[in-house]
Amino acid sequence: MLFHYLDLSWRSFKRTPMVSVLMVLAIAIGIGVTMTSLSVYYMMSKDPIPSKSKQLHHVQLQTMNDGNTYWSKDDVPFQVTYQDAMNLLHAPLPYERTAMYKSGFSVHLGNDQIKPFKEPTRLTTKDIFQMFDLQFLYGGAWTQQQQDDIAPVVVISKRINDKLFNGENSVGQSLYLDDMRVQVIGIIEDWDMSVKFYDLNNGSFQPSEGIFMPITMGPANEIITWGNTNGWKNESDRTFSDLLVSESLWLQFWVELENAQEKADFEQFLMNYMIQQQSLGRFNREKLTANVFNVMELMEYRGVVKEDNKIMVTLSFMFLAVCVANILSLLLAKFLRRAPEVGVRRALGASKWQVFYQHLVEVSLLGLFGGLLGIVIAQLGLWGVRASNGSYNTIANMDLNMLLAAPTIAIVACIIAGLYPAWLVCRTTPAVYLKTQ
Amino acid sequence: MSELKPIFNALCRSKVGAILLLLQIAITTAIVSNSTFIIKEKIAYLDQPTGYSEQDIFSFEVMSFGKDTNFKQQAELDEQALRQIPGVVDAVMIDSVPLSGSGSASTFRLRPTGEKSKGEQANVFQGDEHVLNTLGVKVLEGRNFYESEVMVTDNYDQYPNIALITKALADSLFPDGDALGKSIYRGDFPVKIIGITDMMKGPWLSSERKDRSVITPFVLARKLTQFMVRTEPGRRAEVMQQIESLMLQLDSKRVVENIMGLEQVKGGFVAPDKLTMRMLLVMVVVLTLITALGIFGLTMFNINKRTKQVGTRRALGARKSHIINYFLVESVMICIGGLVLGAVLAILLGQQLMQHYSIAKLPLLYVGFTAVGVLLISVCSVIGPAQRAANISPSVATRTI
Repeated sequence: MLFHYLDLSWRSFKRTPMVSVLMVLAIAIGIGVTMTSLSVYYMMSKDPIPSKSKQLHHVQLQTMNDGNTYWSKDDVPFQVTYQDAMNLLHAPLPYERTAMYKSGFSVHLGNDQIKPFKEPTRLTTKDIFQMFDLQFLYGGAWTQQQQDDIAPVVVISKRINDKLFNGENSVGQSLYLDDMRVQVIGIIEDWDMSVKFYDLNNGSFQPSEGIFMPITMGPANEIITWGNTNGWKNESDRTFSDLLVSESLWLQFWVELENAQEKADFEQFLMNYMIQQQSLGRFNREKLTANVFNVMELMEYRGVVKEDNKIMVTLSFMFLAVCVANILSLLLAKFLRRAPEVGVRRALGASKWQVFYQHLVEVSLLGLFGGLLGIVIAQLGLWGVRASNGSYNTIANMDLNMLLAAPTIAIVACIIAGLYPAWLVCRTTPAVYLKTQ
Repeated sequence: MSELKPIFNALCRSKVGAILLLLQIAITTAIVSNSTFIIKEKIAYLDQPTGYSEQDIFSFEVMSFGKDTNFKQQAELDEQALRQIPGVVDAVMIDSVPLSGSGSASTFRLRPTGEKSKGEQANVFQGDEHVLNTLGVKVLEGRNFYESEVMVTDNYDQYPNIALITKALADSLFPDGDALGKSIYRGDFPVKIIGITDMMKGPWLSSERKDRSVITPFVLARKLTQFMVRTEPGRRAEVMQQIESLMLQLDSKRVVENIMGLEQVKGGFVAPDKLTMRMLLVMVVVLTLITALGIFGLTMFNINKRTKQVGTRRALGARKSHIINYFLVESVMICIGGLVLGAVLAILLGQQLMQHYSIAKLPLLYVGFTAVGVLLISVCSVIGPAQRAANISPSVATRTI
């Protein structure tokens, strides 16, 4: 019966092309507008690392003395100090963890073959690659020994490897970061993600760094951060060694915790750590606080989805409602005009349900057309979004989920619009129409 | 007016269509009034005066990697070379570019740390005596730095104890207008105010401290620096083209990047807001069109349904204007119902937005304007179909009965 009804729907579509096209257009525009804002919203709020987002936890410590404030909603600073990062890194704990910060260099090969370019660099520990599921194309991470020995080694991304070494296996090759010669030890796949969740301090939608090096290189070579440094204490920060022992906050810290028990244990450890630090004159405050957030909690906490986007999604669903109301009135007109025909069908023995079903099939078909055309309009919209804001390039896209969501929402919207007209038309009493014919 | 009751009664006989239209008008009013308000706020934000002639200014970044570059000397050389390019008005090495979304800020207080006193967050710009001229900002009171006061260095061991501050900062720290010559404190460190400048926006346009800035005569020469250049009107593009080769000619061991006009720099920072503004604008236009189409469609449908009645009325002596009037009044009745509901919805939506987001209270004026606009649109989209109805000949009615 379904196919028969689909055929009937198509015939009905062709019989009143004007109205049908108008309805498809209405739903398509509604879907186009809704999907444009919904896609951006969805990509912003999407889990950037589904395989690990529950295990990876970002650590924040409330290091500020009582009386100081910060611009986070709970007053806890977003980043950690160098001394805390190192203490947590070296603590005898069974969990994988990493401390990191962003810097950058002029990259060149020490000859004229390649024009020097600027590239952000992440200083971190060897565990980052395993923790964040970074895949090696060639080579591997540096060892703990190399990290402790401050070995001048780097891991580069495919993008940088393509640029410098034409994509060949460049393990063992040298390159220059400013005037420092370093050796390539591994090449990873580009770290592409919708949201730069591991360091949200300089824009949520920035690309990831292309070069990774041992964090021990930082103090040894006085590599300053390219990220934010937040100081709250009036203390000397003139030299790099001042910075290392200061209360300035400029590193990110991540720990991998498998379950609630591990998380509770780790939080208890942090509490003990802060109490121990209090005896050294730090953490001068009544209430000790530490935030241990997993990836999704962190994104929510940092407000990765901007309020503009939330407003747009709300408004565009209201917009869709207007389109549905529009279609509803057009459907009423169309279906009621067909009452005589339905009267005959009913007289010939079709049940009310069959008539109702037939009309719902027809509106679903409209929804499908509208949804497909809506995808085209949404693509146009997203193209506009990308053109208007370059940093949204990775976000203003529809993935498979969104591509499927478009016709689904369209069909559901059309069925909602079609319920009442279909119900009305299936209640047709055959007698009335048979009489007049 | 005696017509109102029969029209209303007729409407009650085909409620659904009317209610749908009414709802549509209501939601449209709610969305459009809130959106236009947000759009207006965004436009005000995007078009705010910055204090700079953005079209004549550009900035760029230089990153050196030479082992034995003397940064202090190089800074002087670079600045001089830039100022000598034909078409350049002035150029300066500066630690942060206004409107760019990256820079530094500090709290400045009336008294040193420890003593309770009024303080304000302010943006800090560091550069030599050419900063103001390059940015095209005037000194309102006091004077600019002298060349001899500028500290060119590669460390923070010493820091100048004089500064220029913007009028906005002066007014908020010294409401009596006697800021000139006074000292303000950054932690324990006093800074004497030697001049007060006209408006110049800071690095973050969205921040509430955007108008409060401090400029210190301090040039930190190091491997990563930024320059700003102002050219004679219309000559910027030509100067921008020469920058990279000139800078590399002066010292080849460096990377010159992000050579961008100031309006482009600003564009990058305000892009999300501009995007929201554009999306809302598209939505308002399309929504208005769709609602107009809806009204048009429903009237057409009504007319088709009532062809016979219209013919009968005409046969019974109604003039064409009566028929047009009938449909107009009918549509205005629905519209007014929709607008009343819409106004309530708009205010509720506005309250919700205000509660959840940092949006100001929706002024009623916007609801009023939107209502008038929607009413006009609905009248316009009814006139066509109504005229068509008026042209129905009485014979149509008589023939088929």
